[in-house]
Amino acid sequence: MEYFLNQLINGLCQGSIYALMAIGYSVVVGVVGMVTFTHGEVIMIGAFASFYVFNALGNNLLLGVVASFAASWIIGMIIYKVCYEHFFSAPRHISLICTIGISILIKNLAQIVFGPNQMPMLNVVKNNVYKLGPVQISTVQILVIVIVVVLAGILSLVFNKTKWGIALRAVSQDKTAAYMMGINVKRTAMIGNCIGCGLGGVAGMLLSIYYQTLSATMGGSYGMKAFSSSVLGGLTDIRFSAIGGLCIGLIENLGITISSASFRDVFAFGFLILVLIIRPQGFASKKGARP
Amino acid sequence: MKKLLAFALSAVMTMGCFAGCASQQEQVPTDGNIKIGVLAPLTGTNAEYGKGFEVGTQMAVDRINAAGGINGRNLELVVKDSKGDQKESSDLCRMFGDDQQIMAIIGDFTSGACMANAPIVDEAKIVQLSPTASNPDYAGMSDYCFSIMGRQDGEAPFYAKYILGKYMGVKKLGVIYINSDWGKSCFDNFKSQCDEEGLEIVEAVNYVQDEKDFSSLITKLKAASPDVICIMDQGAVPQVINQIRGSGWTDIPITTLGPGTSEQLIDLCGENAEGLLLTSPFFFDPDDAELTAWKDEFIKKAGFEPTIHPVCAYDCVSLLAEAIKACGDEVTRTNIRDNLAKVDIVGVSGPLKFNEGGDITRQYLICGVEDGKYVVKEGFDYSKEGN
Repeated sequence: MEYFLNQLINGLCQGSIYALMAIGYSVVVGVVGMVTFTHGEVIMIGAFASFYVFNALGNNLLLGVVASFAASWIIGMIIYKVCYEHFFSAPRHISLICTIGISILIKNLAQIVFGPNQMPMLNVVKNNVYKLGPVQISTVQILVIVIVVVLAGILSLVFNKTKWGIALRAVSQDKTAAYMMGINVKRTAMIGNCIGCGLGGVAGMLLSIYYQTLSATMGGSYGMKAFSSSVLGGLTDIRFSAIGGLCIGLIENLGITISSASFRDVFAFGFLILVLIIRPQGFASKKGARP
Repeated sequence: MKKLLAFALSAVMTMGCFAGCASQQEQVPTDGNIKIGVLAPLTGTNAEYGKGFEVGTQMAVDRINAAGGINGRNLELVVKDSKGDQKESSDLCRMFGDDQQIMAIIGDFTSGACMANAPIVDEAKIVQLSPTASNPDYAGMSDYCFSIMGRQDGEAPFYAKYILGKYMGVKKLGVIYINSDWGKSCFDNFKSQCDEEGLEIVEAVNYVQDEKDFSSLITKLKAASPDVICIMDQGAVPQVINQIRGSGWTDIPITTLGPGTSEQLIDLCGENAEGLLLTSPFFFDPDDAELTAWKDEFIKKAGFEPTIHPVCAYDCVSLLAEAIKACGDEVTRTNIRDNLAKVDIVGVSGPLKFNEGGDITRQYLICGVEDGKYVVKEGFDYSKEGN
């Protein structure tokens, strides 16, 4: 039982990081209205931004969050300008191919600039292990869960309570109608894209703190997990995407508990396929919520 | 009649083609530089090692050429980037095979790429001398395949018998290994030796390439309460160590097979690496002036600390030079192969003499990490007992 509970904690923690990536992904897809394959690279840029800040200014977590958010925001702006801005009325696959292209470009540039090696991200947070009865949880795990919950909360507030958020949601629902209501659609879409990328960047920072390493090629598999979690949640719904991420994290770790880590992706994607067969719209309740 | 004529003509033309090939094959240059092809992953995840190959081989060539070359001819390297990709490597290998100027190939880095190239070099009758391939199946695939790294069925049993059995004297092992050609062969060899020594593997878990999260595997290992953890991999070893220590499991001894005395491992683990035990066929002894000079020259040229891999690349050139020297005036691909099999020299990485399969039987050392540096555990030199 103790063993099982500890595996649940492992899954919960990994699931929260997936959730943060998936939230970012859903914001991008929801507001811009197009699928992106650059999210893995955005995550990597966020990780590197925090890495350099920690090296230069010491291990200040808040600065790390700001730096990774800002760096990914800038990358988000570039991605928006290159991949989306000109293609709103073009067929959807054009911008999709464009995001694949730019993701390859960013990955290779990163290998040139940052080097191809793994880098250490050690002791950013002093790691203690707490025992709560049979369960044990480390500082880093608590930190990850807390940051994810706080960021998701802020995002939800911004989306539902501010004028900006309402504009973002309007653009997400119908670009033409939003335009007629006097919303600057292009700028709003860009900001939405950048917020999503920024969240991805923070997820990148958390990933590298949690696993204590980062490298230029780390993005690929994470981007895929973010995409799957988000599909599971219905692609555009932030809350359900977060739940999707949590579910994938939990399912993976429970799968490993009964078999081997070599089958991690089998459980993750097997679960995804199963859900999509039963509920093609994902967890989201609205039919046709997908862009 | 017309048909017959057409057939006869086409037959002549086909023959003409073959004749052209035959005469081309005999065109072996007898003067000028002797060219050697180098396959190295200069970009991609293994870029560090590829760069090491490039610098290591060039250092050896510079030394040989400065000493007057081989029988009056200089060596010249043709370095190609295989990107650590088997397909890319095969294409480049075929290119080298077709180029009659290239007399031998050094490379590639991974066992997988070398094995993919084996049928190609066999057909082209050109030596493929890999500095690093350690899969037991590789060198036996062709008479033209050689490797100097030593084979996994030598190192894994040494690891089980001497480090775990004799040096540490532990009984219950928790094993975590990568599920790949290399990892699987490592684990199988390790397991059969453990059975012989009476060591019990209480839990063995594996994962695939690019795994990042080992927490559930660690929880699994913990539940089996082993005396020691054995990690078999290269790239992910630092992450596994960090995650074991990060999970609050600080009192368990950790040993590893695969990364060798990698400086990057210490960089990535920091103080988590303290007390780590591992095997290595080679160690940069700080008291050895010649080795230190080699190391300094390498750092100057490459900009980072060498592992065993560039040392082996350097030794590959020495081996080929020796084989070419023995060819005398008749430097052909097949002569190089025949002479290479007979070479017996002492390289930077130790004595080099091929066994019948085309591998080198290495002796291994027990190394440990103390105060952020690798040290050889003195007094535990089991090499005299043989493996």
